[in-house]
Amino acid sequence: MNLEELSQAVVAGDIDAAEKLTKEAIASHIPIADILGAGLVPGLRRVGELFEKGEYYLPELIVSGDAVARALDYLEPMMGQKGASYMGRYLIGTVQGDVHDLGKNIVIMMLRGNGWEVTDLGVDVSPQEFCSAVSTGDYQIVGISSLLTMTMVNAAKIIEALKAAGVRDKVKVMVGGAPTTAEWAAQIGADAHAKDGPMAAIVAAELVGKS
Amino acid sequence: MVVRKMNGLERVMTALRLKEPDRVPHFERIAGKVREGILPGASEEDFVEHMDLDGIRFIDRTHSWSYETVDEAKRIKRDQWGGLVRYTSEDNPVPVEPAIKSEKDLENYVLPDPDEEWRYEYLKQLAKRFKGERAIVVGVTDIFALGRENILGDVGYFRAMVKNPDFIYRTSEIILDYQLRYMRNCSELGVDIFWVNGDWAMTERPMVSREFTEKFLAPPFKKLVDYAHSLGVSVIKHTDGNIWPIYDTIIDAGTDGLHPIDPMAGMDIGEAKAKFGDEICLCGNVSCAFSLVSGTEEEVRQETREVIRKAGKGGGLICMSSNSIHSGVNPKNYLAMVKAIREFGQYPLVLD
Repeated sequence: MNLEELSQAVVAGDIDAAEKLTKEAIASHIPIADILGAGLVPGLRRVGELFEKGEYYLPELIVSGDAVARALDYLEPMMGQKGASYMGRYLIGTVQGDVHDLGKNIVIMMLRGNGWEVTDLGVDVSPQEFCSAVSTGDYQIVGISSLLTMTMVNAAKIIEALKAAGVRDKVKVMVGGAPTTAEWAAQIGADAHAKDGPMAAIVAAELVGKS
Repeated sequence: MVVRKMNGLERVMTALRLKEPDRVPHFERIAGKVREGILPGASEEDFVEHMDLDGIRFIDRTHSWSYETVDEAKRIKRDQWGGLVRYTSEDNPVPVEPAIKSEKDLENYVLPDPDEEWRYEYLKQLAKRFKGERAIVVGVTDIFALGRENILGDVGYFRAMVKNPDFIYRTSEIILDYQLRYMRNCSELGVDIFWVNGDWAMTERPMVSREFTEKFLAPPFKKLVDYAHSLGVSVIKHTDGNIWPIYDTIIDAGTDGLHPIDPMAGMDIGEAKAKFGDEICLCGNVSCAFSLVSGTEEEVRQETREVIRKAGKGGGLICMSSNSIHSGVNPKNYLAMVKAIREFGQYPLVLD
């Protein structure tokens, strides 16, 4: 079967088509890595391009994410089997004092669609909670989201806490959110900055050398 | 030319009519922590009088909506619309679970009663103390913002825009019914300006396409504006973000003022003055992300001067921060901004 159709279903946000095509691909014994790599990932990449060009906005991102989520309902239980593996493990949360989660959830959607295993710590997450998760888990990247100018400072506190706990070098740290910039990310000692969800998936792949 | 000294209300309304008042007006939403840093123990009303601010804000979410506690430790409450909100460290209730999740929820939805007397107690106090002297500015949450944040949730709302537009229309009609009755009640108690709160844009771009802005956001906003005007009340629309691609839809709806001309999103107030400063009053835009938080008092003074120089000519400017005086603002810097408005904002301006 032609996985281009699955890509198109993602771009169109067509949930039913995404489900049907994913089930057909699995039934046709197409490797999971191919369904992701030739179906979902190109679709999400196109969605990201359309978003960057100003042709797609939040509603289109959401329905594309719905299509990806439906496909992943069938694919994720099979990850780790038959040679299919995740891109890596990604820990994400919104900084302490900030309870917004739309941006973070779009990042999660993009990451999952690109084959990442994502652990979501939720919103209003303290530096201690980030540290504890990094210490006990096996993550390649930690993503820190901040929508509010007044809570951006708490991203720096998380990085400081990771250093103090001796686990900063275990992970790469990405920061993002509406008021954040690459310059600020460098200032607080993050490894990378992503200005939006589509960019987060690209940057994450670069950080682990899989772009 | 000798300019007659105006009171705060006259100053604000003159600016909204795109004329020159005696000086550039200023009012603001100011976090309790900043007020405490300037005038410890004072109420908001005493603070406004002490600072001689030109208006005072009545926030619908905090002053006229009801909430019931769900989880005290996590600061989660159920708002009057039926969804869950969680309070931030700024004491802002941020929606975390929507009221309506399905068609069935919408069919069975019971709207809160906007005519309950208690909702207007604080407004009555403000009117008693300030009516005719300072602008009484009443918050009305935008139909799009209320629908998206509290009623359907971000994801549910955006999804329905694409998949089920009728769901949005029906939800908007319900909310509009409440808001118009609320506005009527406020008008009877002496409101001078309705502050229509709710973002239409993000830092980089509008939240939705121009097509969706015209289809879903602008029509109910225009209904709010038209109704306000029929009551003899002016309107200021607040939206953060980069609205360059859609600003004309906001102006065409008939708003009298626009806040905050978000500098974080690349909105330059001088450019805004040139493009539409002869159509609506500009309200903004001293940075509360940078200078008011971490700048020196002199930097704040110079930035405030620059805002007035770029946008004050001929009137039509209310000088404010780029969002609000939140708890991270240095109280000394807020004082420096107010002082600079008084120093540089006397008409006729002599800044070029």
